[in-house]
Amino acid sequence: MRFFDPHIHMTSRTTADFEAMAAAGIRAVIEPAFWLGQPRTTIGAFVDYFASLVGWERFRASQFGIQHYCAIGLNSKEANNEALAREVLEVLPRFALKEGVVAIGEIGYDEITDAEERAYEAQLQFALEHDMVVMVHSPHRDKKRGILRSLDVARNVGVPMEKLVIDHNNEETVEDTLGRGAWAAFTIYPHTKMGSERMAQVVEKYGPERIIVDSSADWGVSDPLSVPKTAKLMLERGIDPEWVTLTTWQNALDVYAQSGQIDVDALLAEPVIDQSRLFNDNSVLRGQEPRVDETVPN
Amino acid sequence: MTDAKTCLAGMLEHRLDEEARGWLAQSSAEVAEGVAVARFCALISLASRFMPRGALAPEADERTRAETVLAGWNTERWTVLEAARVALVLARSDLAETAAEEALEEAFRYADGGELCALYRSLALLPDPERFLWRAAEGCRTNIRPVFEADTCDTPYPFLYFDDVAWNQLCIKAVFIDAPLWRVFGLDRRLSPELARMALDLADERRSAGRDVQHELWLCLGPHGGERGLASIERELESESRVGRRAAAIALARADAPGRLAELLETERDPEVLSTMQRARDGHTGRAEFRALDQRSA
Repeated sequence: MRFFDPHIHMTSRTTADFEAMAAAGIRAVIEPAFWLGQPRTTIGAFVDYFASLVGWERFRASQFGIQHYCAIGLNSKEANNEALAREVLEVLPRFALKEGVVAIGEIGYDEITDAEERAYEAQLQFALEHDMVVMVHSPHRDKKRGILRSLDVARNVGVPMEKLVIDHNNEETVEDTLGRGAWAAFTIYPHTKMGSERMAQVVEKYGPERIIVDSSADWGVSDPLSVPKTAKLMLERGIDPEWVTLTTWQNALDVYAQSGQIDVDALLAEPVIDQSRLFNDNSVLRGQEPRVDETVPN
Repeated sequence: MTDAKTCLAGMLEHRLDEEARGWLAQSSAEVAEGVAVARFCALISLASRFMPRGALAPEADERTRAETVLAGWNTERWTVLEAARVALVLARSDLAETAAEEALEEAFRYADGGELCALYRSLALLPDPERFLWRAAEGCRTNIRPVFEADTCDTPYPFLYFDDVAWNQLCIKAVFIDAPLWRVFGLDRRLSPELARMALDLADERRSAGRDVQHELWLCLGPHGGERGLASIERELESESRVGRRAAAIALARADAPGRLAELLETERDPEVLSTMQRARDGHTGRAEFRALDQRSA
């Protein structure tokens, strides 16, 4: 099987993760811009980060046969540093319209403050003006209210629901998200957000339509193989393989391909890895023999 | 604030050897005369190289003195190094002025984890503490638990200055990241229907996920949970978790349901739960009661 992990922060992951992901059948990823754990204090830190998402990280993934797309946005937590947030919103258009940027994201609410709402609205407006898909992060705390509010605000700005992905849903929020016509993504995190078992139950209950599984793997305890592992469990539980394909590959492809930034034919072709390629004279190799022309088992 | 300064100096006096005492006296004098911002930050850092490691471990009378200087100021869990760093901050002669505000903000910006803890602990002791409101709210956004605790626990700062959004987020986040909510000063005086609603939503979310409810969540209800709150408490009372049941028993008393508590007292078999119920019936229902349920530290 082939998998699409439409939410993963590869900048925090190792080459061992890339190898394991490719071996498990992950063919494409989306890396949304987010918070780095350590709050940034200068606009330069954001510029370099956004540049790495459309530059070095894309190249790094390609070295393992994984197609890397990204989403550009100002995350909710750092939206609270308003002076810096204004500067970030100013530079955003310089990255958000680049090739391979499939969405504005991840944006939304953390503490549900006014500052967060202003940044969220401004970015929704930008997405609307450029007909872009939006990836919404839902808050850890007061999640249900946060999701309802992010749906309301997106609707008021005029973002079409078919271009809106609400992420980090759970059993308490899935009906609201699907009921409004948005896409409901679920993050499979060990111990916190959602386990594979619960995910399978959600799919059994609600079916596969507009439901997306992702890992959101980052610098915390998380698992870059969440998507293939959850697919395996769903199949073992007897869920229709077509449903498994929809929730771990096709739905993500369908919603983000609306950006026009995904070459579906190229994605479906066998990936060719040429690790002898260089990015600004740098390779991901550290003395190993380059792997050339090996295909990734799909 | 001379009183806090004197109080800290008294505590440090007996805990430093001659060399450390000499360094702190000299550095404080240097700060008092006026230093460049970079030097101020350097002295905050350098303190780690001169101060002894370990807890401040204040005596009962020293704690009482601190509490007299500022209600809610609890030095019980301070380290000697934190006390010395706060002493350096308080040594500034210009604390009421913008220059000190800027210097402190820069110290925050360049701080490591230990420095952040000390700086957050200093905020309530400064003149016009509300000048640092944004900074204190920023401290709540950290994922580093010791920093979160230094910012929110054992200090009156959030109680006195946070708006309702920040205050509710603090309380729910403490529950969420397993920080000791019972150590948040003023908690019982800032309970509200909105906080109770957020806590009850979180309890539902945890149960939908098949997870235990964190026992300190029950601190958030007080008399504001209504029928929904009572039903949720009842469910906890039937749980397998002894600490959860003890917390729920206190929550019942806090919700002013003495009749139900009396009924339960008739039938309870677990001696620990029974003892908690008896104490709750006798009016011991404040946040401090949760100290006995705290598995983290005595």
